[in-house]
Amino acid sequence: MRHILSVILIAAAMLCIPAPAHAYYTEDPSGEATSETPCETCHGTSAALAEAEPYGPHANYTTTTNKCSACHSVHKAPAGGIVLLPAATVLATCETCHDGTGGVGVYGVIEARTGVAPAARHTMLDTVVDPVTSIPGGDGTSGGSRTATFSGTFGGLTCTDCHSPHGANTVAVFTGDRARSLSSVPNATGNEIVSDRLLRQKPTGGLVSIDVYGSDWCGSCHAGRLSKTTLHNHPVDSEITQPDPASPYTYENIVYPDNTMGPLGYNNNGYVMPDPRTSNQSGHDPICQQCHEDARSVGDVTEQTIDASEVFSITDVDGWAEGDNPRYQVFPHESDNPSFLVETDDDLCLNCHTQPRG
Amino acid sequence: MTTPGIRTRAFTALAVLLTVVLVGLVVYLYWYLGRPEALPDISGESVAGVQCVWESYGPGEGELPRFSGPMGVAVGAGDRIYVTDSENNRVCVFNAQGRFQFEFGGFGVAKPSAGNPSTYDPGELNYPVGIDVGDDGDVYVASFYNDSIEVYAADGTPLRRFPDPDTIVGRGGSGFGGRGIAVTDVAVRGDRVYATDTYQVLVFSTDGELLDQWGKPGAGPGDLDHPNGIAVSEDGRTVYVADTNHARVTAFSADGEVLWQVGSPPQGMSAESDAELQLPRGVEVMPDGSILVVDAFGFDLVRVSSAGEVLARYGERGVESGQWNFANDAAAFRGFVVVADKGNERIQLVRLID
Repeated sequence: MRHILSVILIAAAMLCIPAPAHAYYTEDPSGEATSETPCETCHGTSAALAEAEPYGPHANYTTTTNKCSACHSVHKAPAGGIVLLPAATVLATCETCHDGTGGVGVYGVIEARTGVAPAARHTMLDTVVDPVTSIPGGDGTSGGSRTATFSGTFGGLTCTDCHSPHGANTVAVFTGDRARSLSSVPNATGNEIVSDRLLRQKPTGGLVSIDVYGSDWCGSCHAGRLSKTTLHNHPVDSEITQPDPASPYTYENIVYPDNTMGPLGYNNNGYVMPDPRTSNQSGHDPICQQCHEDARSVGDVTEQTIDASEVFSITDVDGWAEGDNPRYQVFPHESDNPSFLVETDDDLCLNCHTQPRG
Repeated sequence: MTTPGIRTRAFTALAVLLTVVLVGLVVYLYWYLGRPEALPDISGESVAGVQCVWESYGPGEGELPRFSGPMGVAVGAGDRIYVTDSENNRVCVFNAQGRFQFEFGGFGVAKPSAGNPSTYDPGELNYPVGIDVGDDGDVYVASFYNDSIEVYAADGTPLRRFPDPDTIVGRGGSGFGGRGIAVTDVAVRGDRVYATDTYQVLVFSTDGELLDQWGKPGAGPGDLDHPNGIAVSEDGRTVYVADTNHARVTAFSADGEVLWQVGSPPQGMSAESDAELQLPRGVEVMPDGSILVVDAFGFDLVRVSSAGEVLARYGERGVESGQWNFANDAAAFRGFVVVADKGNERIQLVRLID
């Protein structure tokens, strides 16, 4: 009888062995042209892009187009959705292609090639869990941080705060450093990338239109960095603070006849501001982008000369060529230098706080 | 009065009987009730031709309990569902009921830029996207930023990788520095592995020997622009490629000859207004020989006949069960379709209702 009882107990124990719950895990309650070809190659300037020519999902809207529905749920946007976008993020829309699988990646490139997270990034976490709403240097009065409500879901920063996906009301085109595509690599005759990068004239919902990519554009958010009046802050040349508002330094007009500074974009010389200033530089301070751009080497500290390793050199797409300077071209999305600085430590400071280059 | 021998035989008979009953019960529990058909419907009714059976937002355990941008799905032996959890650099495995089983992979940089050490160990991944399972159960994963395909046993044990990400592949690939392939998707059929690169299709043996490659930039028939999906017909004679940035799917013969295409590259306003496909990403061959195209910007699954005719569309944009948000891939099994619903950070097992 004991044996029979034992068997029954064993059988009962086997039946009690944890088995699958037979449920499911769910917890959410609720010609040769390619996409890598620079758009301007076929479509002209940004104005034309926006109004007349096809531009992927970024333009070419007509009364009969169905492109709107690609990003907008016109009749079914849920409560709380932003500009008729559903509750999922703008970031998800953009990163469908811009994660690298539909073109050159924007975020994640540095970590994918270095194994470590970038030292700086304009973080876009437009989620209810951790929306990024704090702007360093965003308070124009105190120079400290301020919080803001961005256009991403739950008030977080997202792509469309700075970029106009439709190509409407964008800044003037400018020469950038990037070889963002296989076919935009400079050739022997030069192939500078001129683009507006779909940058809004009113980034982050600003009230004032800024039609030039320069300090004032950055200052739409980082207003506290522009001040040089009552604040003890790093001097930045801007239309707001410049005594002569008609001639602030911008990304484009760094170039001066005496050639002591070169252009920003496709040149490293523009990232210095020699002391003493030349007559053309007198009265001006650097613009944001002279210190904050893709990480690179722009000059030797001790000799103030540019050797071969410090010459601007883009020969291939974003990070591909070991000798390229800058190596990664993803500013201001992410950078392998802290605070998006062009250089770090003394090497950065001595670009300006020293004698002019010989 | 019973003898000890009789008691022993009775005990043995009872033990055998109980064992049979228990085995039967286990089979019933694990097999019959384990089938998706036995699960209750979540949505209750279909929406836009889609009826959700279950959904999962991730393993629900461990350091990373939730998905982050799941982009690829494949179904292997025993109805194991393999999911590339792309931004978490891993593959998560579920059973047919949606219960998490195990994971493998992990982050490793195989091709660091100068001055950075390699952090790669065999089997590690760098932004895994496409995935497929071979007839022998081996799992093939497109490790996008490592410019190679990782191969695992069904249980996730690393087996090999190819091509060598530091070597020029055939006539050249789009990998970092022109070496390896910037692989976005893989399809395994028989002893062949098909892979999509930025502008081409590469064909390997399952051991990694390059057998063929075709495709080039451009907008002509057969030209490719960032294809993100590939599948092969049951007989191995037709290769379907989601030519993503050209907003079309092209059917190739096994040696790269263009058979037909559905959708067309954006050409102008009129072409944009009634595009058949908006942004095709994943593609899957269905049991009846038709193909299912995952249109990320169309927010639907588009069923296309094996002759290139659009037959049906399933789904709509949204965050509820049975809706998609930038879905990226699909895999069919036993009358169900599992979808990598990337924008909603989940996978869904659904029925498609015609």
